[in-house]
Amino acid sequence: MEFEFRRRDYGAEHESRLLPRSRAHKHPLSSALDSRQPQARTVRGSDLDFFDPLRGLDVNASEEENVEEPSLSMEAVTQDLIKEWKSLKRILVQRFPVSKVISFSPISSIIMKGSKGMVLFCFAHSTVENPSTLSHLDEAGSEQTSLEETAKIINQQDYLAKVHELRDGITCAWQAEDRVTSLKLSIKVTKLLMDTTVLQFYPTVFVIVTDMLDMLGDMVWERIKEKAEHDVDGTVICTLLNDFQASDICLEARETCYNWFCKVGSVRELLPRIYLELAILPCWRFLINQPVEVLDRLVMMVRGLADPLASLYCRLYMVHRMQKLGFYNSGYLIKCIKDIEDVLAPVIVDTDGFSYITDDKKLLFSLMEPPIEYILKCLLLTGRQENIVEGILEELGFGRNKSYSSTNSSHASILLHHLLKELPSELVSSKAMEILHMIKCSNDCSFSQILNYRLLGNRLYEGKSQAGVLSSLIDEVIQAASQYHTLYDYLRIMDAYVDLLLQNKMENHLDALLDDIVTLARDKFLSEEEQASLQSIILKLLSYFEDLQEVLSLNHFIEILDLMSGASKRSVNMHLLNMGTRNGCICDPATVQLLFEVSQTLYDATDFVNIKDDDNRQTAHLISRFVEMVDYGAEMERHLMFLAECREAFNGIHELKETLVRSSNTLAVKALKSGKKHIHFVKSCLAFSEVTIPSISTPTKHLNLYLETAEVALLGGLISHSDGLVRSAVECLENVAPTDGLKSIDADSMASVVCKLCSFLVMVPGNPEKGVMEILKSIFSATCSSSWYVSPKDYTNLDAHIEAMPRLKVKIFCAIVLLSSTLSQDNLPYRSANPEIIGNDMLFFGDASYKNELVSCSQLVLQELVNAIEQESSQIARGNMALEACNCISSALIVPFFYESESLTTLLETSGNSKRMFG
Amino acid sequence: MATTVNVKLSRSNRIYRSSEPVEGKIVINSPNSISHQGIRLSVNGSVNLQVRGGSAGVIESFYGVIKPIQIVKKTIQVGSSGKVSSGTTEIPFSVNLKEDGEGIVEKFYETFHGTNISIQYLLTADIPRGYLYKPLSATIEFIIESGRVDLPERPLPPEMVIFYITQDTQRHPLLPEIKTGGFRVTGKIATQCSLQDPLSGELTVEASSVPITSIEIHLLRVESIIVGERIATETSLIQSTQIADGDVCRNMTIPIYVLLPRLLMCPSVFAGPFSVEFKVCITISFKSSLAKAQPKSDPTAPRLWMALERLPLELVRTKRDQFSCC
Repeated sequence: MEFEFRRRDYGAEHESRLLPRSRAHKHPLSSALDSRQPQARTVRGSDLDFFDPLRGLDVNASEEENVEEPSLSMEAVTQDLIKEWKSLKRILVQRFPVSKVISFSPISSIIMKGSKGMVLFCFAHSTVENPSTLSHLDEAGSEQTSLEETAKIINQQDYLAKVHELRDGITCAWQAEDRVTSLKLSIKVTKLLMDTTVLQFYPTVFVIVTDMLDMLGDMVWERIKEKAEHDVDGTVICTLLNDFQASDICLEARETCYNWFCKVGSVRELLPRIYLELAILPCWRFLINQPVEVLDRLVMMVRGLADPLASLYCRLYMVHRMQKLGFYNSGYLIKCIKDIEDVLAPVIVDTDGFSYITDDKKLLFSLMEPPIEYILKCLLLTGRQENIVEGILEELGFGRNKSYSSTNSSHASILLHHLLKELPSELVSSKAMEILHMIKCSNDCSFSQILNYRLLGNRLYEGKSQAGVLSSLIDEVIQAASQYHTLYDYLRIMDAYVDLLLQNKMENHLDALLDDIVTLARDKFLSEEEQASLQSIILKLLSYFEDLQEVLSLNHFIEILDLMSGASKRSVNMHLLNMGTRNGCICDPATVQLLFEVSQTLYDATDFVNIKDDDNRQTAHLISRFVEMVDYGAEMERHLMFLAECREAFNGIHELKETLVRSSNTLAVKALKSGKKHIHFVKSCLAFSEVTIPSISTPTKHLNLYLETAEVALLGGLISHSDGLVRSAVECLENVAPTDGLKSIDADSMASVVCKLCSFLVMVPGNPEKGVMEILKSIFSATCSSSWYVSPKDYTNLDAHIEAMPRLKVKIFCAIVLLSSTLSQDNLPYRSANPEIIGNDMLFFGDASYKNELVSCSQLVLQELVNAIEQESSQIARGNMALEACNCISSALIVPFFYESESLTTLLETSGNSKRMFG
Repeated sequence: MATTVNVKLSRSNRIYRSSEPVEGKIVINSPNSISHQGIRLSVNGSVNLQVRGGSAGVIESFYGVIKPIQIVKKTIQVGSSGKVSSGTTEIPFSVNLKEDGEGIVEKFYETFHGTNISIQYLLTADIPRGYLYKPLSATIEFIIESGRVDLPERPLPPEMVIFYITQDTQRHPLLPEIKTGGFRVTGKIATQCSLQDPLSGELTVEASSVPITSIEIHLLRVESIIVGERIATETSLIQSTQIADGDVCRNMTIPIYVLLPRLLMCPSVFAGPFSVEFKVCITISFKSSLAKAQPKSDPTAPRLWMALERLPLELVRTKRDQFSCC
């Protein structure tokens, strides 16, 4: 009637199940490396015309580039400039959007047919949004209405629509051969640019009007070209090449061309006259070969426009059209820049001699920036193409020798900024000192001096500088920066130089910088901006140094760290932790102490209990990693104390507790390895672990950690400890109550933990007093009674819920049966590494009652196993489980062939059915 | 379709030197052949003088139109009487303006259209067709430029005049703030200028306490006619050109560049009964609330908020070089 356990030879079974192995001829990874090398070489050898940016820079290649770079071809420059112009137009429209502007314009009324008097146009929504501008409107409106008739309000979009309508009118008239009307309409549209009352709106109008003018210019060009190439009757006179001469053009065509210039020249108002001549500027080529005088004159004529904004945009269009003409050089651009500087001067400094910034001025400068940027970009591009960048600088009065420069050598800082931005980096490096002096001299409201200092730093970082020059330069920068008195300005400037200091290993300056920061920040509460700048500096330091030690050894570093607070502090702390844990173990006690404090601040600043987000998780992870990396070496007691401190300090981080237990276990094993004398220490480690485990929230983790600790205890020969821990683990299993359903229990991981427990039990000697099978039985009863839930996310999927339960049980029951079978063997497959622990095979050798107990236990389990399988509703799953059970039974038990228990039959049938279904 | 006659000149710009023959063709478009009594072409050049009210005064206005001065009047026969076949017929012609051996070309004043004086050259084709038919005719104006051989070469030697405009150079009253605040605008401008070239010069605002709103260059013509014992002179505006818009930067040189309009200007003429001279007027307008209220009128008239400088301008015809267009 009874089963018998099958006698097993685990060694032989293992052997028989091994896959045949054979040595590989080559290591798969090493061979790949070998074969890739020559391939790469061939790629480099052949002349490929693409440049792989990822490939390391060849010394030769970079040299070649250097040779080519300074002299750009004319065509490349032109292409570049065309692109620049397109993007500029986009920027102008995007940066200064129309929709939010209220505008008011007497001049624009010129184009509004039928609207007598003055035209007011505003965007309906903005009246509500922007009360300050509204009042301005009222003011301006009332002043005007007293003089003129009633105001008229026109929507911005209507305004633009009208302009587009006019533009269509121009094309229509042109196509109808009515060129006079075409020109008249063009003049009207161009007059719109005379109105700068609505600053914000100007760039948009500029883009629309210049588009129209470009169109007109093209049409005139085509017409004259047509006249030059074909007779009135259509007979071909000549075909003009791209580089035709004025002498190739017939008199008739020249007559027409000159007539256009006369017509345009007779426009009374200056601004439209200039714009229209610029539109047809390329046509000068039909009349003269070298239009030097024309360009000279145009550059001068723009000076007549007093409005700074209008004149600047006019120069912008001029530069654009000069490019179209194809005859220009840096000389004109230099003149433009000089004139711009003169125009800016009265804007920057008031008649009273004060230079202060108002909102209007701020807006004005922001509107002026794109044209200035564009013109300077063109200048530098042209200069590089002509290879005279240094000459340009001298012409502009930049970069002159110190002795040369007179006292009033200050430049508008907005110009200086964009010039510095465009200069080739070699030149920035070689002229660094001069540039610095210029920045020092130009302190006006057109652009922030601080940003210019910063830009210099950033530009210098791009190129290579001589250490000697750099040293005195940075001395001066530090001096200049400290004249600002406020920490924020100082930090903002110096932030740009930190990389430079690090790159050139200028420790003295770095020390000075840190000194200054500490002095300036002493006894102050740092504002948010200051924090951000300081953070940027610290992060630069952190990313430069490899090792945390090096950073910490910097003067005042810790003091500076203490200055920080809030989000910046957090960010810096995260970086510190990250850096500290980057390079393996942390052994230095001072570092450990620092990082501990850092972690503590991070921890204190974070609400780990209530808020769970990615940021918190990262912090938790960093802290855990730090705790894990700490190594006190031989000072194991100290290490354990550290762990205890951590437990206290970072109570809210669950992830950390697991790390703590693991660390303490590792510590115990380390102590065990180093000799027997540490047994008390091992005990305290175990105690630490045992106490820590319950505070972890996840039951599966409890199980795992108990088990792990039990293993360590067993290794140390502490059987009672081990027993206690195993019992706690089993209790855990029991306590996984339905109420814990919220904490997700992954059925599979649960099963695997129990299996692991069973395999561990193989080594644990049975306790004769409490009964050998005590633990086995409690696992069994816990499994039977439990009503485990699957993870809550599976609730939605009811099938998964129902399925998971029996599967888990079946697995556990099988494990118990297998364990009983193993324990009944005369020779256990493995035993504890501690030779003092005697296995059950020795303890109960030949003890019949022991074996009987195992058998009876198995019998009970088998019955439940069958029941569990029957609970499964899905036929396929049931079949699989039955199969698994059969497999387990057949390997563990000998079932007499004449004896067929009912249950086994059912099992076989079930598995057979499912097999058939699969088949 | 009716029969039409057109005179087409060989040059599209219709400009001829007095020494050159005027060439072209008479184009007759006719649905059916017509007979005629000869085709005649006449050239008529004259100076038309007119004195209107204003400067001439009441008495002179009685005179009204003064008898025009004949410059040239001649008729040539292009075709003898006969028939013109249907379709398009082109009859080429060539007319010498001056008689053979006639040395004086000074009398061929250049074409000019002014307010009181107008110098005009017309070419008329006449085709009389007997008493039964309406004669056919067509008239076209052509433009005469001086054909003298001793014309100066371009570019003219620069004859610039330097000017200073300050509150003290003004002969008309100024607003007190302008008068006391003071201003100083200097520059130079050509006093002799080729008609083919733009009027050029430069101007610099050195100082001005009251902001400037605009600086303009006005071209003026001065037409004088001898009427009996008196000389009737009238000055009128030809063209205004703004060279500065707004309160321009101080001490920045601004170019003066004015293209001279064709037909409206000619070389300065001092003939016996009439003269045509030109002047340049530089006006500087200052910011003032009065300026806004004032309705637009003669921009060269002295105002409280304006500073003026009038300078004579001698216009000269220069030799046409190979590539010039005008």
